[in-house]
Amino acid sequence: MSIQTKNGYMLIFRGTDWHNGLSPEQMQQVASQWMAWFKRLTAEGKVVAGNPLEHEGKIVSGKNGRVVADGPFAESKEAIGGYFLLKVDSLDEAVAIAQECPGLPYGARVEVRPVMDQCALSGEAQPETQLAETTA
Amino acid sequence: MNGPLKSGYLLLFRSDEWYKELSHDELQKLISQNNAWIERLMTQGKARTGQPLARQGAVVSGKNGSRISDGPFAESKEVIGGYLMLDVETFEEAVAIARTSPNLAYGTSIEVRPLTDECPLDACERQLAQEGQLATAAA
Repeated sequence: MSIQTKNGYMLIFRGTDWHNGLSPEQMQQVASQWMAWFKRLTAEGKVVAGNPLEHEGKIVSGKNGRVVADGPFAESKEAIGGYFLLKVDSLDEAVAIAQECPGLPYGARVEVRPVMDQCALSGEAQPETQLAETTA
Repeated sequence: MNGPLKSGYLLLFRSDEWYKELSHDELQKLISQNNAWIERLMTQGKARTGQPLARQGAVVSGKNGSRISDGPFAESKEVIGGYLMLDVETFEEAVAIARTSPNLAYGTSIEVRPLTDECPLDACERQLAQEGQLATAAA
């Protein structure tokens, strides 16, 4: 839990079915708690972006993207409902913020992921480049 | 950033660590293809921002976030390895852009999702309220 990044963290809100059992009043309450949470974090400079996502979507795969499937998005535990981009310095702080998510008591889950400054591909290419230079 | 964006599309790149199997030359080639792809979209004003994500982290769940499970998520094909925010008008264009990603050939899949500025809970609540009115009207 000591992963540090200067690039911040992405919170990915998982689960699009947890609010099914709520009454309209409860939904309104959680929605306004969520918005207040987002606004407070924005005011504190800890959130730089965030959005809910529409349920509809497509999955593109296969060579030349020839497979375009609907989905995923029957309501499910894994489906992504939205995200925040956090500007904080440590995974611990990002996790502490995730723990404040108003959806948690109802079954929402929050994935916390460090943002990288270079893609994994470049990371893979790096050591071999250095090796090549050393042997050259 | 004063609130959620009203429009745009989010591309989520999912894959396992297929790139570990590539040769150095293949990697270099793919890196330049990816850089060129993103630079072109940025220049055209079609991509707003994008970042890779580390295959580490945590998942928080349970009341008060009491359950914390650590990543990494290395094994799974479902892991999100990065995102790209698109600034285009239609879902079709977002899908068309996703289909040109150089990584698809290697087994990456790309989830295309419209951004919204309305909380799904609000939408859900409104629908319930409408159904309630209908039920009352029918009674």
